[in-house]
Amino acid sequence: MREHDIIVIGGGLSGLRAGLEAKRQGADVAVISKVPPIRSHSVAAQGGINASIGTDDSWDSHAYDTVKGSDYLADQDTVEILCKEAPERVYEMENWGTLFSRTGDGKIAQRPFGGAGFPRTCYAGDRTGHNLLHTLYEQVLRAGVRVYNEWMVTRLATDSNRCTGFVALNLLDSELETFRAKAVILATGGYGRIYQRSTNSIINTGFGISLGYRAGVPIQDMEFVQFHPTTLWGTNILITEGVRGEGGYLYNKDHERFMDKYAPESMELAPRDIVARSIQTEIDEGRGFTGGYVQLDITHLGKELINERLGGIRQICIDFAGVDPITEPIPVQPGHHYSMGGISSGKDGLTPLNGLYAIGECACISVHGANRLGGNSLLDTIVFGKRAGEHAANAVKNIAMPSEDSLNESLAEERSNIDSMMGDGGESFADVKDELRQTMQKYVGVYRNREDLETGLANVKALEKRGENIHVKSRVKTFNMELMNVLEVKGMLDIARVITEGALVREESRGAHYRTDFLERDDENWLKHTLAYMKDGGPKLEYKDVTITQFKPMRREY
Amino acid sequence: MVYLKIKRQDESREWYDTFETKETPGMTVLEALFYVQEHMDGSLCFRYACRGAVCGSCGMLINRVPRLACRTQVGIAKKENTREGSGDIFVAGQKSEEENEVILIEPLANLDVIRDLIVDMDSFYNLVDSIKPWISSPEEHPEGGNLMDPDLREQIEKYTNCILCACCHGACPVAARDDTYLSPATLAKAWRMHLDPREDNASRQERLNFVDSESGVWGCDLVYKCVAVCPKKVPPTLGIKALREEIEKNKEN
Repeated sequence: MREHDIIVIGGGLSGLRAGLEAKRQGADVAVISKVPPIRSHSVAAQGGINASIGTDDSWDSHAYDTVKGSDYLADQDTVEILCKEAPERVYEMENWGTLFSRTGDGKIAQRPFGGAGFPRTCYAGDRTGHNLLHTLYEQVLRAGVRVYNEWMVTRLATDSNRCTGFVALNLLDSELETFRAKAVILATGGYGRIYQRSTNSIINTGFGISLGYRAGVPIQDMEFVQFHPTTLWGTNILITEGVRGEGGYLYNKDHERFMDKYAPESMELAPRDIVARSIQTEIDEGRGFTGGYVQLDITHLGKELINERLGGIRQICIDFAGVDPITEPIPVQPGHHYSMGGISSGKDGLTPLNGLYAIGECACISVHGANRLGGNSLLDTIVFGKRAGEHAANAVKNIAMPSEDSLNESLAEERSNIDSMMGDGGESFADVKDELRQTMQKYVGVYRNREDLETGLANVKALEKRGENIHVKSRVKTFNMELMNVLEVKGMLDIARVITEGALVREESRGAHYRTDFLERDDENWLKHTLAYMKDGGPKLEYKDVTITQFKPMRREY
Repeated sequence: MVYLKIKRQDESREWYDTFETKETPGMTVLEALFYVQEHMDGSLCFRYACRGAVCGSCGMLINRVPRLACRTQVGIAKKENTREGSGDIFVAGQKSEEENEVILIEPLANLDVIRDLIVDMDSFYNLVDSIKPWISSPEEHPEGGNLMDPDLREQIEKYTNCILCACCHGACPVAARDDTYLSPATLAKAWRMHLDPREDNASRQERLNFVDSESGVWGCDLVYKCVAVCPKKVPPTLGIKALREEIEKNKEN
């Protein structure tokens, strides 16, 4: 049994920021991750991070944009924290070495992003995530945080409503071990890979969310799934919103700049949910190109600007679509991008389970509500990562290390769980996974309605049944990827079920959740968060109020 | 059709397996490996994460050239000469005209193999970490953040783009003969930290002293293989030469 005061599960931006803060506050802290931290999905973030550091900007203007963008589902007290703490967190990252793009006089440069009333997005070319992640990892090395690379946490251990640690699989030799801790911080990212088309890394299966859910913690607002308007046709690699921020135009096959029909004021810089639906409508109504895409054109921006600020995008287009955006438009289509929902947690990342925190994309602190604005997710990771690390470091000072009993029990349960999966015959994880991803894409996507959601739910339930019969055929001990995949597919099924049921019950259209059979937002009945608890036979849904402070819900127009 | 000839290795033996896969339009080597892993042999292992050439997990030898599997198209790789049996890693411009349909896939060179295509990256990371690759800025930042000249930023950026995939290490003839050699990626990072105006002078000097050795900047053969294979266009050799000049300039003063 290994032990640390605090263990962070996940080595992306939020996890590293939490671990770093806890260490700075003097705690014995470790980070455990199934990939080395610099391989985390945070590295793929392109466009930027919001902070109201401009002279004419203010935190409450940032908060207003965020709340309006969220279609009024965000909790306004946590949004206030996000926006107030943004400048300090960004300056801190800058001071630690992040290579932000600069204005002519050497200050951090900012670019416009969708749904924002000010060019508020700080950026490092189109490699903002890469720069932030490497910077934070460097500082984690400097601080001497212990990092366990290539371990997959498979089960949280609990004792009398307290998280006592977890069981983890060492991918190197497939041995299970227990980790005991006074506090555990989940920072495992999103679940993009339950959708067929996703900008997410292949590793984003949402397993951390299912860990919390299985430990009895509610998961919140899971029906709100963000589809990014512009993913590269074919591979669905992200084409940053920064491309539109720099002045890119969207065209349909008749060379119409169609956004003037949908968001005449904001055009291409309307929030993501609106642009994604607009593109999807163009495609669905026959004005897309053959194969289902529209064009994102930056040829008018010129070679110099493209190379300077969008060099990574240019390379992606060349490598993955054979298109050079200096001379040709980029083929794009909407794809899954971000999970607004996640493990229900508060302003310091605390979940209802004592000793368990959740931050970053795996969490729902509810700063993004029904639709996240671009540039706010990177901000979310470092603001709430820092807060969770600090809170946990203070909390563990007065707590004794939990007893070993619950951990030993969990270890025995997990051993028997894995033993029962090994064997020939049965279902293959790949078939179940592929069918799940197709189901979610087809029936629980950009546009939803009762009939589709009911079909989707029936499919997910059928896949859950098949999921019980998946076997791991490979007996190798070293890096048994099949075993890891089988464990993850089971978690993917849990999450898909909750998303689909939540979406079926919510009879309104709000932010990214758009029902063609309930076109309007319904504040009277649905200005509330969904909470899903894991029960035998499926999720139990409950609802709780949205915290509203200074911004009264209004009709959302752009 | 395309044939993947994959080098396999476990605790006790090394061998090659050839898998026949159907080629789909735009298919990458990483996708082909997933196909094999999911449908033909679940025991095959390799690293991956982003599939978009930003995370650096899937560096491997493809036709004896170190590169990222996620951005190498099967259709292109199968037309190349596999250079099977060649002792040399990466020979520039050696492509055959006719389709041979076989792609040779092996683990990155100059690192110990753990199993199949998975190499011991810890030894590589340890080399990188040995130069204390972080900015040792003071706790407090200036009001409104540090300022940085945009031109200087541009110089630093070339090196910041490194994703630590170790393709350069796998191509480096010095790393092949000397496992204490710090590696092109490490030295590129040293130059990146050296250039940064936020770095404090003592740490900058300490790092410069550290790389002033045969395992450091003086070990480099200056053959530019690292520059040629870098998937992010980082030029380690230029950084190494700049560090050498900086060290010599220091000694003259």
